[in-house]
Amino acid sequence: MLSKELAAKSVEELAPLLKDKSISPVEVTEGVLDQAEKTQDTINAYIDIYREDALKKAQEAEQEISSGNYRGMYHGIPMGIKDIIYMKDKVTTMASKIHKDFVSDFDATVVKKLEKAGVVITGKVSLHEYAWGITNNNPHFGPVRNPWNINKIPGGSSGGSGAAVAADATIASLGTDTAGSIRIPSSACGIVGLKQTYGRVSKYGVFPLAWTLDHVGPMTKTVKDAAGLLQITAGFDFQDPTSVDTPVDNYLEGITGDVKDLVIGVNEDYFFKNVDSKVEKLVRDGIQTLVDQGAKVKEVKIPALQYAEWAELITSLSEASAIHHSDLKNRPDDFGNDIRLLFELGELPTAVEYLQAQQVRRQLKQDFNKAFKEVDMLIAPTLPVLPNDIGDDFAELNGEKVDLINNIIRFMGPENLTGLPALTVPCGLSEGLPVGMQFIGPAFKETAILNAGYAFEQTKPMQGQKPIL
Amino acid sequence: MNFSVRELLKSRGIVPKEEHLDMLETRRKELWELRDGLKKIHIDETDISLRNVPGGDHVE
Repeated sequence: MLSKELAAKSVEELAPLLKDKSISPVEVTEGVLDQAEKTQDTINAYIDIYREDALKKAQEAEQEISSGNYRGMYHGIPMGIKDIIYMKDKVTTMASKIHKDFVSDFDATVVKKLEKAGVVITGKVSLHEYAWGITNNNPHFGPVRNPWNINKIPGGSSGGSGAAVAADATIASLGTDTAGSIRIPSSACGIVGLKQTYGRVSKYGVFPLAWTLDHVGPMTKTVKDAAGLLQITAGFDFQDPTSVDTPVDNYLEGITGDVKDLVIGVNEDYFFKNVDSKVEKLVRDGIQTLVDQGAKVKEVKIPALQYAEWAELITSLSEASAIHHSDLKNRPDDFGNDIRLLFELGELPTAVEYLQAQQVRRQLKQDFNKAFKEVDMLIAPTLPVLPNDIGDDFAELNGEKVDLINNIIRFMGPENLTGLPALTVPCGLSEGLPVGMQFIGPAFKETAILNAGYAFEQTKPMQGQKPIL
Repeated sequence: MNFSVRELLKSRGIVPKEEHLDMLETRRKELWELRDGLKKIHIDETDISLRNVPGGDHVE
């Protein structure tokens, strides 16, 4: 098999071939590294490619598998991870000037778990500086470009992960999500992205953006790949004070594709308000395909959503500015212009406003919980707009120019504020650009949203289309 | 008393970029407008999950 063909495969396609030794981890890793290097000039997904280390790890995996010690679905799978996740003795830049030479002396918990599963880490992929933005137009490492249209943003902040998965420059990736940073680039790049429940996956060894909103999660080619990656990374970690000690489901076993008793909640007042008509049509068509498989749809009200935007902004701005306060005082010119503005803005809210935002969060959680007494999950557009041109500071919504950040994160913030799990699955193309459909579930019900996402994925909404590079 | 963005940031030891000041004032007003919506709900007594964990919350 050609190396490019191997790089184009999903984990669920590669795993059985690796397990029965019909292909080798070295072949797959070489294919991914070749593709990563070939697309670097156009896509710029990676900050650093570890060719030598990766090939060495792939050889070790090959020997282990040959000896009958197959560790599971991700053994021998090459993967680039977001450059905000610490790897011992490797530079973790956070795509910043300030941390450009930062070397961690320990591995993040998720890195330890990837290595235990036999993953071959191919390098660090780019991000919006300090994960504080949605364009990935990075002043220090250059813009990451969307593989579907290199003039468009890949979304962010995990834009390197999104672009690399879409361009077959990695088989899967780990991103982080504070206000949609996994789901935004996953939607914009036409891949699957999962922000699981807050506390489900350890954040130990991942540089924070906003402590109470941050998540680490899978960005993959398929829903089952995301389930497999969650399986590896989930679980309690005493080193992360926000980690939750609750049993981990068997996510892959829970994916049956059966949705005939599923009750889908649709919230028209917030999640379908001010949505680009092209996006809305694809999402509503997507819901219909689940109805065709036996699911039911019920409209639900979540009144506190009207305050979610304010609570998300106050919380994220304040927490991010607290983290970067000293550098903002002492070396402000070393930040990119856009995030410096956000850090300045984050110095302005009062303590009372921050605490009121936390009160809104509780109200929002209660309202979502009430809705989940009537429905199993909510389905909504992931983004209300299509990805914009690199460099534009606006998005287009039904032909009108609208504020970029507010619109891109509008359907993201509520899931970070509540900590609820949310999955985005591609639901088609509009103007040659991918559109994502978002499944939002009750806390720790990842299996349910993965199953619904899988059922939808089986209807082949992307019709096998891939970016042409 | 309504302090300007420049005065507020100065009091925190931060020198904002000159070209950001208008944008910061605009964004601050937008946040205030969004906050005005809170008048419609009664949040004064809403409990929140801020916790004081005895003995610390981070294992070294």
